[in-house]
Amino acid sequence: MIKIEGVRKSFGALEVLKGIDLTVERGEVLCLIGGSGSGKSTLLMCINALEGIDAGRVEVDGIDVHAPQTEKNKLRQKMGIVFQQFNAFPHLTARDNVALAPRRVLGQNKVETLELAEHHLAHVGLGDKLDHFPSELSGGQQQRLAIARALAMKPDYMLLDEVTSALDPELVGEVLDTLRLLAEEGITMIAVTHEIPFAREVADRVAFFHQGVIHEVGPAKSLISNPQMERTQEFLGKIL
Amino acid sequence: MNNLTLTFTANDFMLMLQGAGITFVLTIVSGFFGSLIGFIIGWGRSLGLWWLYYLLGLFIEVVRSVPLIIQFVLFNSFLAIAGYPIDPFTSGIITLSIYIAAYVAEVVKAGIDAVPPTMVKAARGLGMSYFQCFRFVVVPIGTRSVLPSWTGLMLGLMKDTSLIAVLGASPPELLRSSQIIITRIQEPLAILIGAGAFYFIMCHFITVAVQRYETSWASKGKVTA
Repeated sequence: MIKIEGVRKSFGALEVLKGIDLTVERGEVLCLIGGSGSGKSTLLMCINALEGIDAGRVEVDGIDVHAPQTEKNKLRQKMGIVFQQFNAFPHLTARDNVALAPRRVLGQNKVETLELAEHHLAHVGLGDKLDHFPSELSGGQQQRLAIARALAMKPDYMLLDEVTSALDPELVGEVLDTLRLLAEEGITMIAVTHEIPFAREVADRVAFFHQGVIHEVGPAKSLISNPQMERTQEFLGKIL
Repeated sequence: MNNLTLTFTANDFMLMLQGAGITFVLTIVSGFFGSLIGFIIGWGRSLGLWWLYYLLGLFIEVVRSVPLIIQFVLFNSFLAIAGYPIDPFTSGIITLSIYIAAYVAEVVKAGIDAVPPTMVKAARGLGMSYFQCFRFVVVPIGTRSVLPSWTGLMLGLMKDTSLIAVLGASPPELLRSSQIIITRIQEPLAILIGAGAFYFIMCHFITVAVQRYETSWASKGKVTA
């Protein structure tokens, strides 16, 4: 379970998060929606400590993420993160991209990690691209590679930061299909997304961000079809 | 007897060959230590500690601004005055290493900066420690993007080794040995063409060696980042 309490975060004079409270249960899919610069992506980074926080508390399975004594590298192992930019390691094949962290971080043996990589790549539909380098893959394939790479660490949580935003429209579908698959498997996901129909279909709950504040949280279907707050109505009205 | 003839002899050729060997060794040894020191300096500047950044930056500026020939003489004299005279070769190699390290440091910094911050975040997000991320992601990607610049530095270094002559290091390196022969036989054009050919062959050797290395990467994945 992820518990976020009163989280504040500024970059210089700009306050990006102005007191965020949010709880995510195991197995839940939560989508964060809202305009650009509303703080959604920053919140994801604060959850796995890629960014520090100025005030408040983030707790993952009872561990205070931002406490100085917390082993952040260890914590991140159970929270996969995928970014808008695919960030496939360009010097490694698809297989080695996926095998790198299990081998170096978890210390598994080489043969084991290569098999693991093959398994996860097949899972996201890249079973025939094992020896391809990222430069030989399409954007959608690179993004699925990034998802497989995160899954190979057997995370309990997946943090997805606008994973389809940098894709050509015709490639968005294949990545969303992969995410649907994960949702069905019951992986806890927090996804920042602009794909409102996807959020409505896959998410259990949706949180609407505006200027560093969560204006509305609720079950995906009801929030999207019947938003209560004026800001939410305005945003959804523009985007749908 | 040979020293009295006014024509190019087999001994002269051997002298130039020996000079070329010295030049090559000077380049390899100071290139190695210079790259090692430069790597540490460039890495140190990437850490985000402002005082370290400016301190190392000052070192780089000084070393790059003072002519190498002055550095050779100053360092050698300094050791002598301090009471620790060492042979001109060693002092020359140390000076060359420090000199090229300043340039390598800038290349290393550029290589580290060439790795997109989100790539680093992706690696850290997988649970890698700072050093694991540096070793397995930043270094391989950065190296690929700056290897051509580094090769250029090494070729420049090879030609700069000729300045070690001001220390009177013996046996002489390639340019000095050529000058010795020219003084005797008064055929500057032919000898300098010969010396140039030696330099070319050695530079070409380094270039080809690096290119081979790069090709082995090209088949192992291009870096577009």
